[in-house]
Amino acid sequence: MNNIEFVPEKPHVSSSPHLRTEVTTRRLMTDVCIAMLPALLWGVYHFGIYSLFVTAATVIACVLSEYAFEYFMGKPITIKDMSAVVTGMILALNMPPEIPVWIPMLGGVFAIIVVKQLYGGLGQNFMNPALAARCFLLISFAKPMTDFSVEAMPWATKVVDGVSGATPLAYLKAGGEVDLASLLIGNIPGTIGEVSVIALLIGAAYLVFRKVISLRIPLSYILTVLVFTALFSGRGLDPYYLLCEICAGGLIFGAFFMATDYVTGPLTPNGQIVYGIVMGILTGLFRLFGGSAEGVSYAIILGNVLCPLIEKYTVPTAFGKGKYQKNKNKSAESKLNRMVVVKTFVITLVSGVLLGGVYVLTKEPIEAANQAALYAAYEELVPRASEYKDMSENEALAEAVANTNALLSADGTYGDVTVNNLVTATDESGNVMGYIVDVTDHEAYDGDIEITVGYMPDESGELKNTGISFLTITETAGLGMKAQNPEFKDQFTGKPAMADNAPLSLTVTKSGNAGDTEINAISGATVTSKAVTNAVNAANTAVNAAVSSDMSATFTAASSEASEGGNE
Amino acid sequence: MSSATFKGGAHPYEGKSLSEDSEIKVLDLPGEYVFSMSQHIGAPANPCVKVGDTVLAGQRIGEAQGFISADVISSVSGTVKKIEPRMQVGGQPQMSVVIESDGKYEKLSGTGKKRDLDSLSKDDIRKAVKDAGITGMGGAGFPTYVKLMPKNDEAIDYFIANGSECEPFLTSDYRLMLEEGEKLLGGLKICLKLFPNAKGIIAIEDNKPKAIEHMSKLCAGESNIEVRALKTKYPEGGERQLINAVTGRYINSSMLPADVGAIVDNVATLIAIYDAVVLNTPLMEKVITITGDAVKTPSNVKVRIGASYKDILLAVGGLKGEAKKLICGGPMMGQALFDLDVPVTKPSSALCAFLHDEVEENPTTPCIRCARCVSACPEFLVPPLMVKAATHGDLEGFEKLNGMECMECGTCSYVCPARRPLTQIFKQARKMVMNKRRVEAAEKRQRDELERIAAEAAEAARAAALEKLK
Repeated sequence: MNNIEFVPEKPHVSSSPHLRTEVTTRRLMTDVCIAMLPALLWGVYHFGIYSLFVTAATVIACVLSEYAFEYFMGKPITIKDMSAVVTGMILALNMPPEIPVWIPMLGGVFAIIVVKQLYGGLGQNFMNPALAARCFLLISFAKPMTDFSVEAMPWATKVVDGVSGATPLAYLKAGGEVDLASLLIGNIPGTIGEVSVIALLIGAAYLVFRKVISLRIPLSYILTVLVFTALFSGRGLDPYYLLCEICAGGLIFGAFFMATDYVTGPLTPNGQIVYGIVMGILTGLFRLFGGSAEGVSYAIILGNVLCPLIEKYTVPTAFGKGKYQKNKNKSAESKLNRMVVVKTFVITLVSGVLLGGVYVLTKEPIEAANQAALYAAYEELVPRASEYKDMSENEALAEAVANTNALLSADGTYGDVTVNNLVTATDESGNVMGYIVDVTDHEAYDGDIEITVGYMPDESGELKNTGISFLTITETAGLGMKAQNPEFKDQFTGKPAMADNAPLSLTVTKSGNAGDTEINAISGATVTSKAVTNAVNAANTAVNAAVSSDMSATFTAASSEASEGGNE
Repeated sequence: MSSATFKGGAHPYEGKSLSEDSEIKVLDLPGEYVFSMSQHIGAPANPCVKVGDTVLAGQRIGEAQGFISADVISSVSGTVKKIEPRMQVGGQPQMSVVIESDGKYEKLSGTGKKRDLDSLSKDDIRKAVKDAGITGMGGAGFPTYVKLMPKNDEAIDYFIANGSECEPFLTSDYRLMLEEGEKLLGGLKICLKLFPNAKGIIAIEDNKPKAIEHMSKLCAGESNIEVRALKTKYPEGGERQLINAVTGRYINSSMLPADVGAIVDNVATLIAIYDAVVLNTPLMEKVITITGDAVKTPSNVKVRIGASYKDILLAVGGLKGEAKKLICGGPMMGQALFDLDVPVTKPSSALCAFLHDEVEENPTTPCIRCARCVSACPEFLVPPLMVKAATHGDLEGFEKLNGMECMECGTCSYVCPARRPLTQIFKQARKMVMNKRRVEAAEKRQRDELERIAAEAAEAARAAALEKLK
C-alpha cells in the first residue's frame, strides 16, 4: 500500500465509535466552578473580602492535597480535571464567613485525602467529599462552624420573645417570620455561598443551560421539602412561609450544587427522582423535628449512602422490553423493580408521616411533662410557693435580666453565659418568697449546661442560694456528669447571693479544701466545674439586679414568712 | 410539523457537507475482484465455481446455505483465479472467490431485460430478490428475501424505506435519493405489492431537506406512500429506533420488526430490489462515500462489489495528508482499517480517512457517573452498571441489566466525557454471552442425545424382557 500517496504505514485501529464529544470531565467541572461564581461574588460583597481569602485557601488546600497524595502514591496527577477545585469551592461556600482559615483548609485535606483518594480517587467516593468534610468540621469544631455572628436581625419581620442571634431558618423554626426579599437577595447571615437565592439560581440556570445537570434531582428535592413542610410545619399552606423555608438554610445551594454531584447520586432517571424525594423527606424531618434548624448537609450525605440501593431498584426498562409491549405479559423482573421502588417510597413516606404524627401527638404531653419537671425543680428550690411567675409577667424583671445579660457579655468574666429566665415564687397573698434563675453556660465540655438556681432569704433577710438543679447536661459520663452528684452541687447551697455589696463571685479550686468563695472542682472535669460555677455567678448577678429593681419593697415584707417555711 | 424521533441519542458533528454535493461517479476498475462468501448475517455461501472457470457479470458464484443466507454474485466478467481465505474489513480472513476482471463486464444473458411487474406473482418477486443476492445495504447485511417473508403478509401495516442516513459523514443514501429517487419509489411499490395492508413511509432525517423535497415531489400522486421527516439525531436510522419514531411501536433484540407489523429496508436495498425485479439485474454495484478530512476529493462513487478500497481511493485522487485513521463505514459504527487492500462488500457504505484520531487523542479517565450515557442510550440501558458487571466477569449480571439489548451503536462512548470505551466493553461482553449460550446449547443437545440413547436402550431391554417372558 506504499504506492498510495500519504497512506500511513500503520493507521490507528480501535473499536467503534471513532468520534468523541467535545464535552470532557474538565469542562463539566469548570462549568460547575463558573456556576458557583455568582454566589461567591455575592458572598464576598456581603461578608467582605475575607470570604474570598477563605475560598482561595480552601481550593488551594484541596488541589495541593490531591497533588501531594497522587505524587507520593505514584499515581497519575489528575489536578487538571478541576474536580478538586469544585470540592474546594463547595466546601468554602459552606463555611461561615468569619471562620478561621485553617478550619476549611483542614476540611479540604480531609475531603480530598480521606473521603476521595482513600476510596480510589475521582468517581469512587461514596459521599460528597465537600459535604463529608463539612460534617467532619461541624462535629470537630462545633462552635466556629455554627457561629454566624448574628447581631441585628433586620430581616426578621415578626419579633419572637427570647430569640436572638438566630439564622433565618432557626428564626422560622422558633415561630418567627422573615423577609422573603432579604432571603432572595441574600441580606441574611449564613455560610459564604448559601445566602443569595438569586445568585444561586443564576448559577443553576447556567448549569442547566450547559446541560451539566438535569432538573430531576433539584426539583424533586425542593418540591418534597415544600410538601413536607406544608404538611408538618403546623403553619398550613401559607405560601409566603413555605417560600421562606425553601429559600433559607442553604436548600437552594444544596439542591442545585451538592445533591446534583455526579459521583454520589444515582445514574438512573427514576432513581434521581427517588433520591430527590428521599433527601427532601430527610431535610424536612431534620428541619422540623430535629435538634437543629439545618438539615440539608446531613440529608444529602444520607442520600449519598442510600444511592446504590436506589440505583439498584430503579434500572429502567430496556427499549422494547416489559412495559413497552402492551399486549404481552409484563416481565416479572420489571414488575419486581417497580414494586420495590413503590415500596421504598411508601416506607419512606409512611415513616415520615408516622414520625411527624408521633411528634404532633406527643408535642403537648411532652411540653406538659417538661413543664411539670420544671415545676418540680422550682418546688425543690423554693418550696411551697403558691405561684411561680415567669419574668415575662414583670417588665421590670425582664429588663433587669436583659441588662444583666448585656453586662455579662460585655464583661466576659464568666465567659459565654446567658440568663434565660428569672422566676418569682410568691405565696397565696402574692408576697415574694424567693427567686429561681434559669441560666445556660455555653462553655461546658460538650456544649451547653442549663441549670436553675434557687434563692430564698434567711432569717436575717439575706438572700441565700437554696441549691441548683440541672435542666440540660450532656457531659462525659464519670467525669463531667459528676456535677449532678451532691458532693459537687451541694457546695452551692447556702452561699449568699451578695458579698461585700456586690454579687457573690465564686471561683473553682482544685485544692480540695474550698474557702467561702470557692468551689471544689470535680476531679478530672475542671471545665464542667467552671461552667456550673460561672452559671451560678451569672445567676447571682441576675438575682441581685432583680432585687435592686422595684421588687425590693415587696420582698422585705415577705421575708420573715418565707424564712419560716424554709426552716421547717 | 415537528420531526418524529425516539428518546435518547446524540448529536455528533455531521460532516456531510464534505461530500453531499458530489454526484455519484461510476468507477469501473480493472484488476482483481474478491468476493467473500460471508458478506451477510447468517450461514456463509458455498462457492459454486472452480478455479479456472470463466464467469460473467451477474453469474452466481456462491450458493446460499440454509434459510438465513444469501447468494454471492460476480460483478465482473473474467476468470476465477483463486478460491481461498482472503482478508476482509473486520481483519479476519473469509473464504473468498477471487476473479480477475477481463474489463468487458459481459453480462449473463437476460440481464437487464425489463419485466412487467403486473405479470409477477408474490412468489416471483421474492424469488427474484433471493436470486439477486440482495442483503440489507445499511450495514448489518440481513438477507432481504427473509425480511420479505413474514409469517403473515396481512399483518404488516408499515413498510419503511430507511433514508435517514444518521451516520455522520455518509452521503451515499442522500445522493441515491436525489439521483435514483424513481427507482427507490419503484422498489418501495414492489414491496407494497407483497403487503396489501401496508403503508409506505420514506423516512429521511431533516438535515436533508433537498432529499425530502425531491422524494415528496415524486410521491405526490401516491396515496399509499408518504415521506416522513425525522429529527437529525444519531442513531435515528437504527431499525428499532426508526420503527419507534415512525410508528410509536417498540421491538427488542428478540423480536423482528414484523412482530409489530413493520418492515424496514434501506433505500439502497429498495433500489436493488427494483433492479432485481423489474430490470432482472442482480446486486453487483454499490454506491459508497469516500470522505473525511484526509481525502483529496470527497466523493460518492458507484463501484462494483469485490473491488479493493485501495484502488477506489486511488481512483478518486488519494489522500491529501497522513491519515491517522481509516474507517470502513461511518465513524460511529464503522470498522477501523489497518490495511486498505480489502474488498467492498454488499453492506459497505463508506471509506472515511481522518487526519486525527479522536480516540487516540482522548485518553480514558475515571468514570464520574455523570449519567450522560444513561440519558443518551437509545436502548434505555445503564452503561456504567453494565461495565461494572462486564469487567468483573459477571455475565449473568450483564444479561440482567439487559446487556444483550445493546446494539453497539456507540452513542454511550461518543457522549462519555471521561472517554471510557463503553461500547468496546459491551461488544466483548456480548460476544462472551453469546459464546456461553452456544456452549450451553451444545451441552444440552449432547445431554438430550445421551438421554435419548439411554431411554432407547432401556426400552429395548424392556421389550426383550417381555419377549422372554412370553
